Amino acid sequence: MESMSERSGGFSFDNVARNHVLEEKGMKMPKAAKTGTTIVGVVYKDGVVLGADTRATSETTVFEKYCEKIHYIAPNIYCCGAGTAADTEHTTAMIASKLELHRLDTGRQSRVTTCLTMLKRHLFQYQGHVSAALVLGGVDLHGPHLYTVYPHGSTDALPFVTMGSGSLAAMAVFESKYKDDMTLEEGKQIVYEAISAGIYNDMGSGGNVNLCVITKDKTEMLKGYAKENMRPWRKSTPYTFPKTEVLTSKIDKPRTDISVVVESEKMEVSAS
Amino acid sequence: MMDFGTPVLEPGSANGTKQVPQFNPYQDNGGTVASIAGDDYVIVAADTRFTLGYSIPTRKISRVLKINDKVMLGTAGMQADTCALHKVISTRMRMYEHDNNKRMTFNAVSQMLSTVLYYKRFFPYYTFNIVAGLDDKGEGWVCGYDAIGSFEQRKIVCNGAGTKLMQPVFDNQVDWAQSWDGAGKPNLSLEQATDLMKDAFTSAAEREITVGDTLQIYKITKDGIQLEEFELKKD
Amino acid sequence: MNIDLSEALDTKYGRSGLSCEVGPDAVELGEEHVLTIPNVPRPDKFLSDSFKGQEAEVLKFAHGTTTLAFVFKHGIIAAVDSRASMGVYIGSGTVKKIIEINPFLLGTMAGGAADCSFWERDLGRQCRLFELRNKERISVAAASKLLVNSVSRFRGMGLSMGTMIMGWDKTGPALFYVDNDGTRLKGNLFSVGSGSTFAMGVLDIGYKYDLSVEEACELGRRSIYHATHRDGASGGIINIYHVGEDGWTKISSEDSAQKHYQYKAESTEQASAPMVTS
Repeated sequence: MESMSERSGGFSFDNVARNHVLEEKGMKMPKAAKTGTTIVGVVYKDGVVLGADTRATSETTVFEKYCEKIHYIAPNIYCCGAGTAADTEHTTAMIASKLELHRLDTGRQSRVTTCLTMLKRHLFQYQGHVSAALVLGGVDLHGPHLYTVYPHGSTDALPFVTMGSGSLAAMAVFESKYKDDMTLEEGKQIVYEAISAGIYNDMGSGGNVNLCVITKDKTEMLKGYAKENMRPWRKSTPYTFPKTEVLTSKIDKPRTDISVVVESEKMEVSAS
Repeated sequence: MMDFGTPVLEPGSANGTKQVPQFNPYQDNGGTVASIAGDDYVIVAADTRFTLGYSIPTRKISRVLKINDKVMLGTAGMQADTCALHKVISTRMRMYEHDNNKRMTFNAVSQMLSTVLYYKRFFPYYTFNIVAGLDDKGEGWVCGYDAIGSFEQRKIVCNGAGTKLMQPVFDNQVDWAQSWDGAGKPNLSLEQATDLMKDAFTSAAEREITVGDTLQIYKITKDGIQLEEFELKKD
Repeated sequence: MNIDLSEALDTKYGRSGLSCEVGPDAVELGEEHVLTIPNVPRPDKFLSDSFKGQEAEVLKFAHGTTTLAFVFKHGIIAAVDSRASMGVYIGSGTVKKIIEINPFLLGTMAGGAADCSFWERDLGRQCRLFELRNKERISVAAASKLLVNSVSRFRGMGLSMGTMIMGWDKTGPALFYVDNDGTRLKGNLFSVGSGSTFAMGVLDIGYKYDLSVEEACELGRRSIYHATHRDGASGGIINIYHVGEDGWTKISSEDSAQKHYQYKAESTEQASAPMVTS
């Protein structure tokens, strides 16, 4: 088996054929966590604002209430992810690592377009099987950039973008309220409103609003920019529970008759 | 709203080329109904969120039908079937009253719902029901149903989308299910039961995306029915 | 398409297009209310087709069981568990799987809970009508035949029912097995359900015709207990009924988990010699 030998990187396809047969025979494969998500980005006067909700779901169950969907790529580049949680996390982490090496090689700040090219090449190579829908934002020597990347590898460059299951709700906000050259406050407000539209009107999105503001000089993560969906109520009286009956009890004492003797060359383990 | 679905390839046909259009009369509109019964009360709770896929067409829909001052019916599942079922039950309830010159008892309603559901055994109402009420002695009871009318009378029942999250909590807190000998089993008061119900729905709304918006709690006692509304999360 | 069963009272035939002939006695489900059949080419496949390829919760009905009954010197013993599973979810742990049809007739429930409870309730109605018409109690053979006639009309439509009808009539104790395929068997010992093989293994070893009532009850209880222990779809409460000359009596209702520890304690008491492993 390939998995037994040292791996040279990349995906392992060891179980693909087997899983295909099992699925044909009617076995239910475990579901990956999806970030049925609202993610958005907007370009404002001095940079870009990225935004995301914090809900990860598996079918109709909330997997994680407050997860982070704005991933680090480089100090001046961040990327929001929608789709299969593992794919977005690993794809962005892989690109982040490659860009780090590239920066160490060149001693220059990473460019957003470099990142974009690497992402779309990776996603296109896997023909949509890497299920990552991304909003990529950053500021480099050419100024602010904002892109969307689709799972099959196509990309868009726009002044305001949305992705995920809540993208329509969020886009409605942008389409009605976006204007060119917004101030920072206006930028944060419109992103907050767009994410909120997703949180309240799309069941796949929920929880808090996370923002990330990237300018020429600094990047600011605003985790929990709005926290409107914390648990609203809790019963005031404490819970009591039925006592679990102890039927038998047995206590094992640690054995003292075993000793490990380390010798200079070989190690001997003596057991009784 | 009727979904005729996408054509599916019929397995076994030559190269899978024969296309058969599919008719799918069902749709899931979410919803959870639950009920806790005590010695002299029964409460019926239902959330008011109406879902369709990942959308929420409305946040305020009632899933509960008042049969009379002592019996109520709660229905989760498909809204169109819920409407149809409630109409059938209302009509038959009124016919019963005229025929027999008396109100339907809790037992009569619970048996009638079972047969009404079973009459559509081969084309079921896509609904998950509970019937809650006070019996002739004034004691609270609740019956839980599957989609085709199998039912059981209990002290605590929960049905619909949030069942798998809430039922174990109720089994533990009301039925004392994990106790070996039932020692220390509480006899919940109306207030305690209401608090437990709110907490269960609040928790379900945290983890089940189809539960949310508003919780309607109907409290049935010998003095009649009282409605309390309680806000749940809207996300 | 409806099978208008009240109309069939007059015509003595079902609607055309249905392969079944509706007998005059088994039809009156209540005024204008009838079992509706979806108007599609394959009504039996209607439900599975409706939810094909859908990830969401498919309509699941209550299933899963161990039931048994046997005839012996002093009548009949019926023993059942109480678990209802809906897929992998335990729908209920306290189901009454022995259905009290009337004071002299019992039915057991295995397969679809709604199918069993509806048709056995309907059987109770038919038996009462028989009594009123004939001024005597119905025989178990006739009662079980009424039931098999009822379900046979929907053969191949997806009904799920594996039941044992038992009681005491002029001929003494009688036990019949009836299922949704239209099978009807007279016998002295049956076990039905997902856990029936486990129960049958214990039952066959301990069964004798000359058992006392106490011994017979304990044999039934033991058999169900062992089934609940090995079959995941069986569990909960063990209910025991005895059918005697004067009708049935409920003997006991005990938690299978508590039985487990009781039996375990008893077996360690009995095992006087320590277990030896070589």
